[in-house]
Amino acid sequence: MKQNSILTRREFLERNALGMGSVALAWLLQQERLRANPAKPELERPSFDTLPKQTHHDPSAKAMISIFMQGGPSHMDICDPKPALDKYAGKDFPGKIKYDNAAQASPKVLPSFWKFHKYGQSGMDFSDLVPGFSSIADEITLIRSMHTGVNNHGQSIHAMNTGRTTRGRPALGSWLTYGLGSFNQNLPAYMVLRDPSNLPVEGVLNWSSGWLPSLYQGTVVRARDPRILNLEPPAELRGKPQENYLGFLDDLNRRHANLHPGELDLEARIASFELAARMQAAAAEAMDISNESETTKKLYGIDKNETKDFGTRCLIARRLVERGVRFVQVFTRNQFWDHHGSIRSSLPASCTKIDQPTAALIKDLKTLGLLDSTVVHWGGEMGRLPVIQNDTGISRVGRDHNTYGFSMWVAGGGFKKGYIHGATDEFGHKAIDKVVNHYDYHATLMHLFGLNAERLTYFRNRQEQTILDGQPGKVVTDLLA
Amino acid sequence: MHARTTALLLIAGLVIPSIGSAKSGDGASSSLSFERDIRPIFQTHCFHCHGEDGVRKGGLDVRLKRLLVAGGKNGASVVPGDGGKSLLLQKLESGEMPKGKEKLPFHEIELVRKWINAGAKTLRAEPDNPEDVLISEEDRLHWAYQPIRDPKPPAVEGLRSTNPIDAFVGRRLADNKLKFSPRAKKRTLIRRAYLDLIGLPPTPEELGSALSISHGELVDRLLDSPHYGERWGRHWLDVAGYADSEGYTEADTERLWAWRYRDYVIGAFNDDMPFDQFIREQLAGDEMVPFPHKEMSQDKIDLLTATGFLRMSPDGTGSGGINQNEARNQVISQTVQIVGDSLLGLTVDCARCHNHRYDPIPQRDYYALRAIFEPAIDWKNWRSPRGRAITLYTDADRKVAADIEAKAKVVDAERRKKIDFFIERTLTWKLKNMPEKLREPLRKAYLTESKKRTDEQNKLLKAHPSIRQISAGSLYLYDREYNVEIGRLNREKGEKLKLLLAEAKKKHPKEKIDEKNLAKFDAEGAKALAEFDSKMKYYRESLAKKVMDKMAADAKAIRDTKPEEQFIRALTEVPGKYADTFLFHRGNVDSPKDKVLPAELSVVSLPKNPIPVNDKALPTTGRRTAFAKRLTDGTHPLTARVLMNRFWMHHFGHGLARNPGDFGRLGEAPTHPELLDWLASDFMKNGWKLKRLHKLIVTSQTWKQSSTRTQTLEEADPDNHLLARMNVRRLEAEAIRDSILTVSGKLNRKLFGKPVPVMEDEVGQFILGKENLDGERKPGKAVDMQGEESRRSLYVQVRRSRILSMFNTFDAPDMEPNCTQRSVSTVAPQALLFMNNDFVMQQAKLMGERIRNIEKDDLDRQMRIAWELAYGRFMTGEENMRATKFLDQQRAQFTERKHKEPAKAALANFCQAILSSNEFVYVD
Repeated sequence: MKQNSILTRREFLERNALGMGSVALAWLLQQERLRANPAKPELERPSFDTLPKQTHHDPSAKAMISIFMQGGPSHMDICDPKPALDKYAGKDFPGKIKYDNAAQASPKVLPSFWKFHKYGQSGMDFSDLVPGFSSIADEITLIRSMHTGVNNHGQSIHAMNTGRTTRGRPALGSWLTYGLGSFNQNLPAYMVLRDPSNLPVEGVLNWSSGWLPSLYQGTVVRARDPRILNLEPPAELRGKPQENYLGFLDDLNRRHANLHPGELDLEARIASFELAARMQAAAAEAMDISNESETTKKLYGIDKNETKDFGTRCLIARRLVERGVRFVQVFTRNQFWDHHGSIRSSLPASCTKIDQPTAALIKDLKTLGLLDSTVVHWGGEMGRLPVIQNDTGISRVGRDHNTYGFSMWVAGGGFKKGYIHGATDEFGHKAIDKVVNHYDYHATLMHLFGLNAERLTYFRNRQEQTILDGQPGKVVTDLLA
Repeated sequence: MHARTTALLLIAGLVIPSIGSAKSGDGASSSLSFERDIRPIFQTHCFHCHGEDGVRKGGLDVRLKRLLVAGGKNGASVVPGDGGKSLLLQKLESGEMPKGKEKLPFHEIELVRKWINAGAKTLRAEPDNPEDVLISEEDRLHWAYQPIRDPKPPAVEGLRSTNPIDAFVGRRLADNKLKFSPRAKKRTLIRRAYLDLIGLPPTPEELGSALSISHGELVDRLLDSPHYGERWGRHWLDVAGYADSEGYTEADTERLWAWRYRDYVIGAFNDDMPFDQFIREQLAGDEMVPFPHKEMSQDKIDLLTATGFLRMSPDGTGSGGINQNEARNQVISQTVQIVGDSLLGLTVDCARCHNHRYDPIPQRDYYALRAIFEPAIDWKNWRSPRGRAITLYTDADRKVAADIEAKAKVVDAERRKKIDFFIERTLTWKLKNMPEKLREPLRKAYLTESKKRTDEQNKLLKAHPSIRQISAGSLYLYDREYNVEIGRLNREKGEKLKLLLAEAKKKHPKEKIDEKNLAKFDAEGAKALAEFDSKMKYYRESLAKKVMDKMAADAKAIRDTKPEEQFIRALTEVPGKYADTFLFHRGNVDSPKDKVLPAELSVVSLPKNPIPVNDKALPTTGRRTAFAKRLTDGTHPLTARVLMNRFWMHHFGHGLARNPGDFGRLGEAPTHPELLDWLASDFMKNGWKLKRLHKLIVTSQTWKQSSTRTQTLEEADPDNHLLARMNVRRLEAEAIRDSILTVSGKLNRKLFGKPVPVMEDEVGQFILGKENLDGERKPGKAVDMQGEESRRSLYVQVRRSRILSMFNTFDAPDMEPNCTQRSVSTVAPQALLFMNNDFVMQQAKLMGERIRNIEKDDLDRQMRIAWELAYGRFMTGEENMRATKFLDQQRAQFTERKHKEPAKAALANFCQAILSSNEFVYVD
């Protein structure tokens, strides 16, 4: 091979930049070289990428969609029925309780306003608030014994989302993409579909890569143009103007490269613009739902005002996963589920927004044969208390925070189908049976992705850091299919 | 900025065979020796279990040939002359040894076989004690430990340049039958000189003026520019690990005063401070300043500031929730690492846990080096970052501050009184809603100190959490309740008013009646309304948050008028206090072993150790002063070589030795060892003056060559080790941003000062700006940066966890703890940034406006101006045609899209393409 002679641009592209295969190969060769020379002082910085990685064991899950319900959905009103609440209605709660809002605190027990029924073969209980959930009871694992143990939104969000209650650590999606890479190099490996109205509590920290390389940070799809910063031009340049720009730039760069024969970095940079254009096209295509059938759109509730936005985002989430994106997180708006007051009217509104689209996602993934390899998670950072907050009339009562026992559900990717795990006490206050801590949840998730949470490490401060960070996270085998 | 989306790794630089020096050991088998060829292999792979630290697994010690022959439990390991019978070889071949994943490469096993078969020779009689060969004769022969020579520049036939650099480079070229490339064009050289020496492209005026003077004059002019210190100071800050935050923990606390060290470095470069002095001040400036460190003159302040060099390593010890011992020891070891990287060019940190696996640095040496710094960074008597800060407050400042504090305290006291009032109000109000009989017991229970409450009182309070929890901190929650009440009263009042007015009007149809004059017609009604008002007033007076916030703000406003207390981030010792240094077994801080005295590395040491344990002439130990003196005494084999190599790297893209942080066995040996030595000795002989060196390099024929590759050169020397041409180089992250700002005309050329803050934008990218978040981290209004956003990149805050996304995209270093050499990647996110990023598009627009201000209508002139601004050269006819076509296309597009100003938009987009182009981000 005439490796040392001057390469023409075409030769260069043929060898190096045509399609992913060759790039991946080059990367593999480089890794091979690194492996051959271990335990040396670092002469060069390690480089990071999102190419697919070897897992510790065979995975059952390949992708994940997390429907994150910030604020704390009221489990005893949705999926964890507690007859004791009716018995004690209006009486003082017999145990000890920690309130977040002191001014409106009250020890009086508040029964649920909604009726529960059993669904599916497992007889999973759901209230009338979530007919969609009821229809997928046979597909999901309902965990009723979640626990983080810190009563603030921010800290509990971090626990669920990063493994620790403190700020600054890498998000779950960052860990997964760091450990696994992604199947599609034209799309970001980790994408976030935020609510159009505002940022969730803790803002951009929800998808921060912490001290992992910023490559593993979540890429946000915004509600307004450009929807993905840097991956989409502003409207005025979209289409033809940007094509012209790229054409002109390519011309400038080729002229320049012609004066610098054999300067491969210049050729590589020319190729990088072509690649960038491909990535841009791929992102636009993935987010464009116009080619989806009316039936599909209807399934997600895109035809109705109250579910249009959330349904669209769930559908995009499915499209992204379908195209090889590793981790997608869908957020509701700031404190969407934080029903401190007027729970009787506001909780149904919250449920309506997400119930049909979320259920549609499960059904759609199943139809497409993707559910077996895609984990879907629905849940927030906390549940709510069995007692009244704001005791000023039935239309105004609400429930305060509770991170000692709450519910969430998971489906697909190797989780059991139609299974209820764990339980809270008779008031729904504390998880008492088969408690699942946030770190157990993370260890289990990692396991499904073929990773051992203790072995997926990142070297920092002379230590191998893990998502568990020394917490006793265990794979909850009961949850596995 | 899209550092953070997707990476697609484009492998830009391919693997090309190296022309660097060959490693020893490839000779005939008969000349193979244990010391030179075999021992280094065992040192790397085997000593850990078979010899070191008293560990002899299987009873085998492989550090001496004699011991190999003697063997271990399984008998002789090596049978000289017979590889087949040598147990050692069997174990290596079968992969049984070394244990673990990393096996010996095939060629090394072959080497061992050949050596055994040839009789397992040693070069000399082996010592009795294997510990005596921690550093072998062969180790000492390594080029980097040899004294720096002062070679005479060689004669080169036909060489016209009198610059000694060209003689050394020309000699090697001639030996390889190569020639210098032709000199680059004048305009190319001007742009190259600007970006190399000051990191900014020339403005059209500067370019015009540069064209009329000689290259030498231009170099002098650039070296005199204050921007020179910014450019070259930044290079030094890389290896010093400059950062504006402490790192280590997730909180990554801001370092508020590190910037003074940054400014000190810029100043030192601009003043052309002799580099030996620069080193001495950074290592031991504190020992040049008498105690107490109060009411100091500027030169004393500068000397203390210089030691900031030794305070650059991450330091998490000011944060909670960490293992203090580990964090403290990491500060020490990373400080030693920074010193090793920057001044010794050795990976000393590799000898922290065991003897260095490749280089002659025994673990004991590492701890001796550490002992030089330990009196100042004493992990047993730790001082937190805050505790170390040296105040610049004067007594006069203190007096002014005390007076202001007294005024603020008055407001504090008023506020506390007000809080008591609010608590009382809220308590009374909440109790009013309670059953009569509970009110007094509840009040009493609440007012009783919590420890003294009876069980009954506790029970009572527990049943009434809304009373129990009233406190200064929770008052804002009760505001909401008051507001609900106020809202209700207001509604009721409105209804009542409507009713009363209707009734009154019925009685007095001719009168104009409103709330104000209602009393004239319906005294009782008016009174009822007034009652609503007085109730609402009562509740409004009970609203705590606003009042408390206002009073807190008032107190703060008063305090803010104090003269700002500024600090220096410096390294100091506590006089008369120093602890012993111990070697940590396998690097573990919990396993201290032998006591170690301060000393420099043995392999380069003087016959007599110059580092005192405690210099009686100084109030502090003087260890660092002595070390700095030794490094700069003119005979140290590493210091000047390492520096010359580093400076060379910044001029050419590669060092003469290509691993600037590793002059050991693994680093590539220099391609031009004589040149490196000549530069080093010339530098030292002439007062360690950096500007003189720059001038020598930048006016050399070597530097002035064209960068064009040719077929001949590619075949002979594709990696340009021999320097037969200049290297084409991509600008660093900072230089890209600074160049864009220069061309758009927005660059704020202010020097020095506090860093420009970095914050997260709404999707989590790091942009310039002052953080303005609410309690839930939702962004508030953007804060006006008043031109600070356009300052040079080296003034942008270096917060380790928040590297400006644009810098990150273009390979800015992570300071963990420092960076010896930047890497250059070419990846798609960089392209996306130029295509779609806000900053780029905004600057392109500004560049367009700048051009229109010079030339309003003539499109042709506009294009030509753009060319000169960005590339520093004229547009060619072909380029002109292509550009005209592009501008026509875009104008048509924007007109079609009903853009308000199609011509402006087209010009902006044209500028964006120029900023995106290779010619702009690469230097020829």
